[in-house]
Amino acid sequence: MGELRLMKGNEVLAEAAIRAGVDGYFGYPITPQSEVMETLMLRKPWEETGMVVLQAESEVASINMVYGGAACGKKVMTSSSSPGYSLMQEGISYLAGAELPCVIINVSRGGPGLGTIQPSQADYFQVTKGGGHGDYHVIALAPNSVQEMSDFMTLAFDLAFKYRCPAVILSDGAIGQMMEKVYLSDFVPRRTEEQIRKDCGEWCTLGSKRHNVITSLELDSVVMEQRNIALMKKYAEMQKEARYEAYMTDDADYLFVAFGTASRICKKSIEMAREKGIKAGLFRPITLYPFPTKALYEIGTKMKGILSVEMNAGQMVEDVKLAVECKVPVEWAGRNGGIIPSPDEVLEALETKIIGGK
Amino acid sequence: MENDVNKLTKEDFVSAQMVKWCPGCGDHFIIASLESILPQLGKKKEDLLVISGIGCSSRSPYYVNTYGFHGIHGRALPIASGAKIANPNLSVWVTTGDGDCLAIGGNHFIHCLRRNMDIKVILYNNQIYGLTKGQYSPTTPMGKITKTSPMGTIEEPFNPGELAIGAGGTFFARALDVNPKLQMEVMLAAAKHKGTAFMEVLQNCVIFNNGAHAYINDKEFKADRQIHLEDGKPMLFGKNMDKGLKLCKNSTKLEVVTLGENNITIDDILVHNPHQEDRGVHLMLAQMKAPEYPVAMGVIRDVDKPVYSELLEGQIAEAKQKTKFHCVQDLLNSGNTWNVE
Repeated sequence: MGELRLMKGNEVLAEAAIRAGVDGYFGYPITPQSEVMETLMLRKPWEETGMVVLQAESEVASINMVYGGAACGKKVMTSSSSPGYSLMQEGISYLAGAELPCVIINVSRGGPGLGTIQPSQADYFQVTKGGGHGDYHVIALAPNSVQEMSDFMTLAFDLAFKYRCPAVILSDGAIGQMMEKVYLSDFVPRRTEEQIRKDCGEWCTLGSKRHNVITSLELDSVVMEQRNIALMKKYAEMQKEARYEAYMTDDADYLFVAFGTASRICKKSIEMAREKGIKAGLFRPITLYPFPTKALYEIGTKMKGILSVEMNAGQMVEDVKLAVECKVPVEWAGRNGGIIPSPDEVLEALETKIIGGK
Repeated sequence: MENDVNKLTKEDFVSAQMVKWCPGCGDHFIIASLESILPQLGKKKEDLLVISGIGCSSRSPYYVNTYGFHGIHGRALPIASGAKIANPNLSVWVTTGDGDCLAIGGNHFIHCLRRNMDIKVILYNNQIYGLTKGQYSPTTPMGKITKTSPMGTIEEPFNPGELAIGAGGTFFARALDVNPKLQMEVMLAAAKHKGTAFMEVLQNCVIFNNGAHAYINDKEFKADRQIHLEDGKPMLFGKNMDKGLKLCKNSTKLEVVTLGENNITIDDILVHNPHQEDRGVHLMLAQMKAPEYPVAMGVIRDVDKPVYSELLEGQIAEAKQKTKFHCVQDLLNSGNTWNVE
């Protein structure tokens, strides 16, 4: 286990990036995640590891700097919050189309529009369903603790490079702003140019001397279709990376499905439910894409009912219904607009919408 | 809304919203100046629109009691352009900041000026990102230490006036937040200007960049580091108004001279003409930096050029005049027609 510290979620993202041997960070301030760039600047990683930290003129510039850095086979990343992530969608679509690896952090807040700076999970759709144009997906990891903010940095880069696909860490304002104890990962040195040539030489601009244009354009539709089919094949292959946490599900009659901050509320609700004799459990998707469909089917179809608890107006509930093929009742409960539901509210929703609703 | 235009006072333009700016923030002065000049425009409240993007400056639409629009970060100018084209009768005012207007909105800014949209733009320039708590902006001086530049910024800042004039801007004026009289003077001149009227207000952020403009506004320097430019008047400044600006001999540069020294007389001093189309002197005036030069205040450029909406309306009128179709019936009757029996 690594060094133990008490840190804020956003600060951990910065620290974890330095420790993961990241080459470059490009960002633009936005609440509630400006501490990511500020912590990086304070740490001056360029003196320690040579990592570049640059404040761009907008999120559009940030994601395109990431696009450029990724094309060089470097470990590059950006971070933002919901409205800024919306702005990056064009670049993300191009990165996915050009099959380039990178990590994008979205410490999400309530929307739509400028919305609020309070925590929200209303970006589930825009992160997991593409969000930008075209048939593509990004790997999406949903931490529910400061510890996972640290752990998922390395995981996100590993998956991004393994599949040459952008990986998103979808956090929210609550996890970004709260302080918890965290065991930091050990330092991994930045890759040398030789290592990059060896690992990414096939496609990156540090690689072979042959003519190589990084592009997502293909005007011949027949060839373009083949590229899309290849992408789909890659996404199918990715399904095996689905990760989840099952909590007190073995004897459960009822299941909460929740990710991120909402999953922690559910754990308290489960405790309260069991005191009342209601056997509830939690299924927490850790990867939102690929969604742990198979595991949820196996666990979920044994239940009397499922409540998808979200800090939005009901987004993941669609994937939950698809996963259990509507074989058991599935309902949504939650708060939105920047409000975190209380454990009582969640339990009450289980009692009225699922148990009483039968 | 109150419709008797002549009876409107400043108080009519103060909204009931609680002002969330920090105590002592320069924004309070700017909004007070705006509220003071609005009754003089002869516009009904519902024909006035205050638009903003995101940032501290962008809270202004809540505080001015006109129609308001709190838009998207950096996008206030396209939103304003759309509103002005859709309703040309509106007097459109944009309140923006150095981040909103010149970082994320930089692209829209130059295109708005190039088109000469009839919009009034007030840039609250505090040389820092205030709302996100202290990161450097595109106008932060090189070398400044901020939260995101621990070793000092390594980026050359924009001079907003230089950028605006370079992009084809027809109006540029500058004022300090603590000088309401000058602010109102430039706001009224902007209101009269046809086209994009761009005003830079040097504004103090008491929390994250306190004293950013002190070097030109501290009592001991003030007279020597500011020049108030007025149409048709010689460019004089200084405690005794004995310093002036003239063009260097054999070069296209301004120089500061003193009356009575080296045979300099009032006739050697440049006379300000904001209306001349040539950008040369206006650009030099906008670029002046203290302490070598005084910083130019007041209306620096105010040039008459065609306005986008007028040209647009002209094209529509011309197309209407030339068309063979004056109503739907004309269109239906054009080409081949048949009678179905």
